[in-house]
Formats: sequence, C-alpha cells, structure tokens
Amino acid sequence: MATRSADLRILLISPDFPPARGGIQVVAHQLAAHLDGEVRVVTLGPRGPQDGVLDVRRARSITASGPPAVAALNARAFREGLAFRPDAIVSAHLFAAPAAAALGAALRRPWVQYVYAMEMGQKPRLAAAALRSADAIVAISRYSRALAIDAGAPTARVRIIPPGVERPAERAPEPAAGRPTILTVARMAERYKGHDVLLRALPLVTARVPDAQWVVIGDGPLRPALELAARRAGAPARFLGSVTDEERDAWLGRSHVFAMPSRDPGGRYAGEGFGIVYLEAGVRGLPVLAGDAAGARDAVVDRVTGRLVDPTDHVAVASALIDLLLEPESSRAMGRAGAERAREFGWERIAARVGELLRELSR
Amino acid sequence: MCGICGSTGVGARDRVRRMNAAMVLRGPDDEGVYIDEASRTALGARRLSIIDVEGGHQPVSNEDRTVWAALNGEIYNHPALRATLLENGHRLASGVDTEDLVHLYEDYGEALVHALEGMYAFALWDVRRRTLLVVRDRFGEKPLFFAERHGELVFASELDALLAGLDGGADLDPAAVDAYFVFGYVPGPGSIVRDIAQLPPGHMLRWRRGAPVVVEPYWTPEALPAPEREDVGELVAETRRLLESSVRSRLVADVPVGVFLSGGTDSTLIAALAAKASGRPIKTFTVGYDVGAVSEAAEARRTAHELGADHHELLLTQSELAARAPGVLASMDQPLADQALVSLHAIAEHARREVTVAVGGEGADELFGGYPRYRWLRRAEEAGARIPRVPAASVASLVRRAPLRRAGRVADVIEPRALQLRHLDWVTAGRRAHRARLYGPALRGSVPGEHVVRGLEERLDRADGASTVRRLMLLDQVHWLPDDVLVKADRAGMRVSLEIRTPYLHRELAEFAAGVSDRLHVKGGGKALLRTLLDEVAPSPGPARPRRKTAFRVPAADWLRGPLAPVLDRQLAAGSAFAEGWFDRGQTARLVREHAAGEDRSSVLWPVLAFGLWLDRLRGDEVR
Repeated sequence: MATRSADLRILLISPDFPPARGGIQVVAHQLAAHLDGEVRVVTLGPRGPQDGVLDVRRARSITASGPPAVAALNARAFREGLAFRPDAIVSAHLFAAPAAAALGAALRRPWVQYVYAMEMGQKPRLAAAALRSADAIVAISRYSRALAIDAGAPTARVRIIPPGVERPAERAPEPAAGRPTILTVARMAERYKGHDVLLRALPLVTARVPDAQWVVIGDGPLRPALELAARRAGAPARFLGSVTDEERDAWLGRSHVFAMPSRDPGGRYAGEGFGIVYLEAGVRGLPVLAGDAAGARDAVVDRVTGRLVDPTDHVAVASALIDLLLEPESSRAMGRAGAERAREFGWERIAARVGELLRELSR
Repeated sequence: MCGICGSTGVGARDRVRRMNAAMVLRGPDDEGVYIDEASRTALGARRLSIIDVEGGHQPVSNEDRTVWAALNGEIYNHPALRATLLENGHRLASGVDTEDLVHLYEDYGEALVHALEGMYAFALWDVRRRTLLVVRDRFGEKPLFFAERHGELVFASELDALLAGLDGGADLDPAAVDAYFVFGYVPGPGSIVRDIAQLPPGHMLRWRRGAPVVVEPYWTPEALPAPEREDVGELVAETRRLLESSVRSRLVADVPVGVFLSGGTDSTLIAALAAKASGRPIKTFTVGYDVGAVSEAAEARRTAHELGADHHELLLTQSELAARAPGVLASMDQPLADQALVSLHAIAEHARREVTVAVGGEGADELFGGYPRYRWLRRAEEAGARIPRVPAASVASLVRRAPLRRAGRVADVIEPRALQLRHLDWVTAGRRAHRARLYGPALRGSVPGEHVVRGLEERLDRADGASTVRRLMLLDQVHWLPDDVLVKADRAGMRVSLEIRTPYLHRELAEFAAGVSDRLHVKGGGKALLRTLLDEVAPSPGPARPRRKTAFRVPAADWLRGPLAPVLDRQLAAGSAFAEGWFDRGQTARLVREHAAGEDRSSVLWPVLAFGLWLDRLRGDEVR
C-alpha cells in the first residue's frame, strides 16, 4: 500500500495558493504539502517561499483574478496535466473544474472537485456541470454537502472531508488571565459573519461582566461602519484590522472566548462552509461561540467544545457569552475538549483521507 | 397595545385611577393598578388583549414581587426572550411579554433595553432601589408623556390621560403651537402643553425621589459609512431575511391579524411576505374613494386576489370622509394636521370589525429612501455647489413667477438656501411664510425667532459629514416619523382599539439599511432594495407592479370648499383658536375666501382647522 501511494502522481489545480491568504489557499497548500505521492500544483499569482519547497507552476495572466485569470489557469493546468500525466486530479475550486474535467477525459484519469459553500450559489451553472462530471466531490461539511447536492452533485459521489488545522497542540495551553476578552477573527467583507450581532450583544454582556472587552481582528469594507457604530454606542470594542499570524496567535492566547456567530444569509448566498477558525481557537484552548447554522455545526460540538446558538438572536448570543465568561470551570473544560478535538483535524490526517479517496478512485 | 401611566408622590393612586379612566379606548379589555404604599408610587395599565388573552393582567411582578412593570405595546422577540429566560432558570408565571421585562431587569438591570425588539413604552418599578425606569421604543411607535412637579413624576401614554392625572388646566406652549403650525405636528421632546414633555424615542427616564430626573438615549438612528461597492443581490437577500423575520414576528397574536394594503410597494411587499408566512389566507384591507385614485384600490384588489387573501375594501365617499374628519381631528391628544389621518382612521375602524391587529407599511420611506424629495434636494445641493448664489436667486425668483406646473418646486431647487430650510419649505409647502400675518396675539411676539429652524439644524448636526440624502433620511427618522407618521398610526388605531404593527420599523433592519449606500437606496425612483425584493416575492411580476407609494390620500382642498366649509365657518365664528388669540380671525377669513374662490390654501387652512377642533375639545373637556 505504502509503495503504491508513494507512486501516486497528483495534479492539484487551484486559483488560490500562498503567499495569498485565505481558507482555500490553506487547503491547497496543506494538501500539496501533506498528500502522500508526487504532487504538482498549478496556480495563479506571484511566487512565494512555498514554490521552492513544492512543485508549483504558476499561470501568467494579465489580470490577478476574473475571467482572464481563470482562463489562463485552466489553459496552463491542461498543458501541465498532459505533460505530467497524473494518476488523479484535484480541482481545489470550481474555477479549476474545466481543466480538471478535460484532463480527466483526455487521460482517462479520475478527478475530484473540492467544494466549500458560497461559490456554488455564485456560479450555479459551472457548479452543476462540474459536480455532475467529477468522479468524486469533497465537501468540507454536512452543510457543504447539502449545498453540493442542491447544486446537482450525485449524492453517492459526495464525501465529507473537513479542512484541517495547522500545528495542533499536544496539550491545551493554560487559560488566560487579565481582562475578560471576547475575540473575533474574520474578514469584514460578508455580513453573515455576525459582527453586527456581537455588537448588539455587547451591552448585555457588559451588564453582567462589566470589564469585558471585544477584540476584533480582520479587515474589510464593512469595518468603517461597524467601528463607527461601536464608537457611537460606547462599546468596549477594539478593532485591530489585519494583523500578522503571530499577533493573532498572541490574541488567541490572551482571550477567554472566541466568538463568531455566523448565520445563514439566505437566498443563493451561503454561510460558513466549515469555519476552520473555530478549530484554530480550539487549538489554543479557547471555548468558542458559533452560530447554530451552516458548516459551523460540524466545526463546533455544542456544550463540548463551545456553544452553538441562534446566530440571529443577540440575546441568546449574549447569554452564552456571559456563561462562557462567568463559568471558568466549564469554559476551561470546553477549551480542553476543543484542543483535543483539533488534534483529530491535523493536516496529516486530513490529507491521508484525501489520499485514500484518490487511491480508491484510481484503482 | 394598551395604555400605561404612573405617578409618584401624595395622591399617586388617585391620579393613576383618573389616568387609567382616560385611556379606555387604548385598552378596553382590562385595567390594573399597582401601588407601593411605602414609596408612594403607583403604576397603572389599561389593556387591549392580544397575547395570552386570559392571563395578561398588568402590572406584573417578578417571583419575589420586588420588580413591577406595565407595558404599552409589543415585545416582538418575546418567544426568544422567554426561551433564554427559562434556560437561565427564571420561572415565568404567564405567557405575556410584560413579564419578560421584570426578569430581564433582574439579569441585566437597565441594560435590559438592549435586549428588546418591539414597539413599546413601559414603566418598571424597582421596589428595593426605589427607582422608576420609564422607557420608549427606538422609533417612537408608542407614545409617552411625562411631567415633573416638585420632584414627583407623573406619566401616561397620552397627553389627555396625563392632563387627567395632573391638577390644573392645560396651558399651551406658544413655541409648540408655532412649531405645530409650521410642521403640521408637534415635534418632540416637548409637547403642546407647557411643562409636559415627551420621552424621546430610544430614550429611558430614571426617577428617584430627591434626585433630578435623568433622561438618556440608549439607541439612536445612525448614518453609517457604506462600502463602495456591494453585491446588490446579497443586500436584497439580507433585506429579505430581516423583513421576513420581522413580518413573522408581527403576525404573532392570539387574535385575528390583518394587513393594510394600499397598492404601493411597501404594503404589497408586506402582504406578500405575510401571505407566505401565514398558514391560512391573510385578511387584507384597503380604502377606495369615489373620486381620484381609484386605480389604487383596483391594484390592491388584484394583489390581494393573487395572494389568495380575504380582501376587504372600504369605499368611502367624499361626504362620508368629510363628515368623520372633524371628530377625528378633535380626538387627537395633540393636534395633528396630517390629512391622511382621516382615511387611516376610517380604514382602521373598518378593519376592527374583522381583526384586532393590522400590519402597515410605516417607516419604509424613511429607512429605505422612498421620498422623491431626497433625490430632488440632493440635486438642489449639487446644483447649489456649482451655480453662483446671486444669479441663482434671481433665476429662482423668475421661475417662481412663471406660469409653469411645478414652477414652485423648480424654484425651490434653484434658490440658494441652507438644506434644512429647503427641506422644511418642501415638506410644509412654505407654511412658515404665512406666520407673520396669520398669528394672533397669543403667538405674535411670544415665540422665539426661528426656533423651529434651529431645532432642525440641531437634529441635522448629528449627521454632520454624511451625504445630503443620508442627512435628510436621518432627519425624517427622528422628526417626521415619530411625531407625525407614528402618532397618526398609533392614534388612528387606538381610537378604534386596533393595534397597528409596523414590520419596517425593526431594529436590525434599520441598522442594516443605515449601512447601505444612499446612492443605492434612492436609485431608480427610491427604495431600490424593497422594489427588487418585491419583484422576487410578488405573486405576478410585470409592468403593473406598483412603483410608487400612494398611501391613503385625501383631497383636502376639495373638502375645505365643500363639506368642511361650514366647519371652517363655525371655527371662524366661535372657535377657541381665535377666541384665545392663537390665530388672527380676519386673516384666516381672508384665506378661506381665497380658497373658496379657487386658490389652494388648504396647506394653511387644514392645520388651523385641525388645531381649532382639537382646542375646542380640550377646552370643553376641561373642568375649571
């Protein structure tokens, strides 16, 4: 088995890859780093330090994103595929599906489509075509799976493999001392992340925990409005914008609760695909508060690693935050459980499951 | 629904009984009084039963009777609050929302206001701390008047009730009468009666014996910076999510609920969402006239049919409407010159035969940029920045005299003026120019110069730095909406014991709308998000879809020449408005003659008439 897997040649196509930052970038990078076999990556964007370690080929495009970039990515991926002759092809984003499907057909090799959440609603026709022709679909959560089936994926071909976490700790760190701190780490580009609900919950929280503060990491077009609303309301909120990974980790270590009550935005718009950030908070021994909606239901185990609450009910959110801040014993236990659970999501394990799927398909 | 009142000090119980008695129409089903003898503090409530019809007696207390509350209105997130309270170990004795207040107060103290979504005015007495907390909802849907006399507090849902609780007569405040004449309504936080105030929307009042009364805001409408570019589809989806949730919460009742359907965008959208949310056919109500906008009723009828609604149409003749006008105008607790009051009252009365609660479209224009003046005044500001002031003034004066339709409007746009003046004259048809001649001795000389305009400036200052459209929307949200639109809805409903609920006035929806670009709001004729959403949910899309809100309009100018002419004459002959010297009889008579001869003076005569009828009733009721 080991020799077979070592021989597996995998072409991984992704529009997103480090040094750019984001969830899909992490998935593509970690799969490339941890998949057992010979992996070649075709992607876009400027070269980064990973390019020296991994086999990364970058398509050149006149634009950084949009149709020309997608076309360039697919053209390059198809050429690379013909030359590389992989045993299996992984499309890490719907945008890479055309090349993956074409190579699958041309080389008679299996190809796998990764799906998350919002991209399926945004590109319904591409999604339908890709999901019907892929040999297997990797959905990152039960929610993601349901969206894929809605978008046209044959039920039997969908596998749920969650994303992984980096550096899961062997032991949960000691809980933080100091000012009771609620931490949110999220881009401020989509309204569904629930910053608005946290801001509404805050005066109720401070009524019970007077020195509590809310630290908000992340940036985006919604930030000015949130920051102004918080200032006008006199809320004890600190908006730090984008920070380095080290700084973010320091805040994870300094905080008492991680909160991101993401909701289901409705219509053709999707919510949290999984919410890897909940697991990352778990790695640091933090109890988490998440919305009882979308992919977060797979990332958080209610009352074990944190709390799943109605993300549209700011009073329920406040009540759960107060419990998490005022009941240190149960919070600590949730943090420990979160750290323990995060270990199941180490990238080695996750990549092994993807590798297993690829081997199964290419047999 | 209901009405609440309260008093501290000697005679509190008696005052509360008198105030309760003055609010029978607000709450015909039940009455309750709580008195803390030791602290000489009393709370009163009259109730219109809507939820937990049998068990909803007020005021209510917590488990150990140390916190008491009386509520007017509805807490719409009551089911969710109840679930959270139960989870947190509270024992709830009834199913009513008033009980939420006392338990939330136990958990959060005064911060309980941040937990509430709804239309409410409530009073809460903390027995141990001997503190009275009085709170009014965020948009000002439910009224609350109060007076402080020698360190003691008296408050009530309506001015008439408060006057019944106070000793002595009603001494009108000339500055408030002046503001009433200019605006057509009495702007808060004052009232038409001297030394009686209104608790402003989104504010709470704290009273402790021996300490000064504290009034402070807990929520204010904002103008927030909007992202440069946003996916409109995503914004529409968010609007839908919030509005659906709001409509659902406003359909909750243990009594029949209906929808006011005018045929315009706002009410059609509400009706369509209500039909989706409701398990059984919804009841819709509309008013049609024997003249004018007949097509409106036809549009409403078509929509109702497509929604499978149980539709009720009231056809009002001009004479019927005119006959009810004097009584309705007189019945207000503060004078209100909004001409639509009469038809809203008529449709409310009609609906009351079938339902106890009706849902309306109030607030959509203010939150989602519906009024055409937002676009016009923005153009005026933009033009003003480019055209030199002196020639602009001359051109405006020429245009004003030109024999053109809308010449006045165009001149208003061209003339160089401050935004608040432009806006004021736009919405009041330039009424302030009539003051010098029309005011009688009681007003002349006793009104501080231009305090009305300064009041507007102060409100606009809060939105400094925001765009013209955003500033005007915000001004409407804190001025016109609470003091005209919502007074009209509350009183028209309450005079016939009907609760009017307003899904657009939903905190999250308002906060969301405040962060959407105003360019987008006013695009393509205004309320772009609501219109797009309507296309999504309307039963049959197409060119017949309503584009403009037409509301329940009345041809007041015709009435004043026809069926209301004798009422005007009686006012001139014997009305208190002239006898007490508020308005000049001769000058008013001249305007009446001009109007009869064909000039349209209705924008001036209607407020004078509404004030006169109101004042006559007030004086007749008064026991001196």
